[in-house]
Amino acid sequence: MSDPNGKHDELIHPVARPFLWLDSGWLKSSMIWIFLVATLGFVAVDFFHHRHEYVDLAEFYGFYAMWGFGAFVLAVMVGWFVIRGLLGREEDYWDGDSSDEEGQS
Amino acid sequence: MIEALYDVSPAWPVIIAGLLAAAFPFHTARKGLALIAPVLALGLWFNAPSGDHVGGLIELGGFTMETFRFDGLSRIWGLIFIIAAFINGLYGLHEKDRIADAAGLIYAGAGLGAVFAGDLLSLFVFWELTAISSVFLIWGARNNAAYKAGLRYLAIHVLSGVLLLTGAVIRASETGSWAFDETLSVETLGGFLIFIAFGIKCAFPFLHNWLQDAYPKATITGAVVLSAFTTKLAVYALARGYAGTDQLIWIGAIMTAFPVFFAVVENDLRKVLSYSLNNQLGFMVVGIGVGTELAINGAAAHAFVHIIYKALLFMSMGAVLLRVGTVKASELGGLFKSMPATTVFCLIGAASISAFPLFSGFVAKALTLAAVAQEGHWMIWLVLVFASAGVLEHSGIKIPYFAFFSHDRGHRVREAPVNMLMAMGVAALICVYLGVNYGVLYELVPFPEAALHYEPYTFDHIVGQMQLLLGAMFAFAFLVRMKWYPDEKRGVNIDTDWVYRRFLANTLNWGHAMFGRGWAAIGNVLGAVRRRTGGKLFEVFSPIGALSRDIPSGLLAIWTSALLAIVLLIAYLAP
Repeated sequence: MSDPNGKHDELIHPVARPFLWLDSGWLKSSMIWIFLVATLGFVAVDFFHHRHEYVDLAEFYGFYAMWGFGAFVLAVMVGWFVIRGLLGREEDYWDGDSSDEEGQS
Repeated sequence: MIEALYDVSPAWPVIIAGLLAAAFPFHTARKGLALIAPVLALGLWFNAPSGDHVGGLIELGGFTMETFRFDGLSRIWGLIFIIAAFINGLYGLHEKDRIADAAGLIYAGAGLGAVFAGDLLSLFVFWELTAISSVFLIWGARNNAAYKAGLRYLAIHVLSGVLLLTGAVIRASETGSWAFDETLSVETLGGFLIFIAFGIKCAFPFLHNWLQDAYPKATITGAVVLSAFTTKLAVYALARGYAGTDQLIWIGAIMTAFPVFFAVVENDLRKVLSYSLNNQLGFMVVGIGVGTELAINGAAAHAFVHIIYKALLFMSMGAVLLRVGTVKASELGGLFKSMPATTVFCLIGAASISAFPLFSGFVAKALTLAAVAQEGHWMIWLVLVFASAGVLEHSGIKIPYFAFFSHDRGHRVREAPVNMLMAMGVAALICVYLGVNYGVLYELVPFPEAALHYEPYTFDHIVGQMQLLLGAMFAFAFLVRMKWYPDEKRGVNIDTDWVYRRFLANTLNWGHAMFGRGWAAIGNVLGAVRRRTGGKLFEVFSPIGALSRDIPSGLLAIWTSALLAIVLLIAYLAP
């Protein structure tokens, strides 16, 4: 059922065909700029409109964008270096059988 | 309205259907029960009298059990449990497993029974029934890891039930009350034990790992069913008994944060969802800890929408597991070309849990965050905003991106079965519907007036939320571009389960081995002592022993002399 080697386009679902551009290289390389522009766009709103927040700190220009960026980077770095670095083990660590880690019906 | 049915809890038709399913050998009949029973339960839910109602009283050994308490809190939880039971039934239509069919229904019914329980003894009965019935959804995977995980799951949940009963008995002996209400307190021993019992089921920090251990090893449908009931029942129990308990605020905040780090590097996407579930529970627990009307509304609304979008995400991963045979992120990618409908449904679930505007998570999570900020818990608020970005990382981006996009692994599989698509479609529809028509949700919460005064779609809220989400998405794109995002690779990350799966297990094995060796050593020493003593006695007292050579009548003569001496001594000393 799975073919990891080929690109059997005839097997692609008809509904998915108009959306194959989602897999294109230019889109993947452009994502960083798309998100950057979108983020800056919403940050720019803060310069024209004062947001009223329950927490004073959140009224700072672009607070949420910075917090979101920082939180994401922190989560990834701690996950990568602390969790995987210190707590990561081989797949057969528990019972010596890696296939057992996945439930089947 | 049918008055004769006022006292019938919606739990009963579902439990009875489960018992019948256990007896029915016919697949079609069982599946009919799985769909009809939630409909009957929904009828009873609608039929319940308006206003607070306590009914379904059962006299048992001089004790009156209340099986149907219908009020603002149980109303919303009961409804979402019924909806979840129906969606689960639809999702599992293709499976032909009598035990799983029966267990799923009994489990859902027990969850409903616990929600509608009016006293702690009734709660205990249904509490334990959820544990016993749900373990079959794990064992249904029929492999060694699932069997062991099921045993661990059962042990932990039975322990929760034992603590609940012990706490209830202690409290009843002190106060004479079995009430399951806001009078519970962590300040008393009984109340504290009940709190820990709820905390185990709610996956409090350090008590949480049964969730990530068991759920990913359950059957495809089992994981979906499990995601709906157990933990949300615990959230309900906390809301019922411990609203406004300050300790819950920090417990909940920690719950929102720590699973984020584990989810980032987890390769099994159903395990990622399990950590994500833990994170979402944290928001609800914080809301309960804050305890204001708005915060309780937030917890209830969050539980409602969470059950739907979490089930949707588990369903989409279940469909991937069914078709591809794995949900390891390292083995997936490009599945949108084969499973476009599943992809869309997963994206809707991801958008909902990430709280994008127009999706259900946005209107629910906002209540809790507003309540936390209003009460001046700004540090907690910052943690929750951090956790919101974390949710986007693991459930909003990681799940759909690595399963359906990312590197095309060449999997060309069939789309999910029709019944799975229908179940996902219903869940997705609810996610969008509640995100847009949030008034329907706000009317269901325990304090509708407080909720209806809150407006989620303000310009400021939308701008702030979009800043947060886009800032986090930019961070993802940035880290990927810089190759600073960790590769998805096969492996496991040990968690608190290491304590009982490795440390305690090894300690017990070591203790058992040491006990065995020690016992053998003691036996050897005792044997040697016995042999040496016996030998010495034989040398002294036997007919050929030393005494026999000097004393004519041997051992008998010695005993006779000794007894005579004792008698003489007593006679001499006696007055």
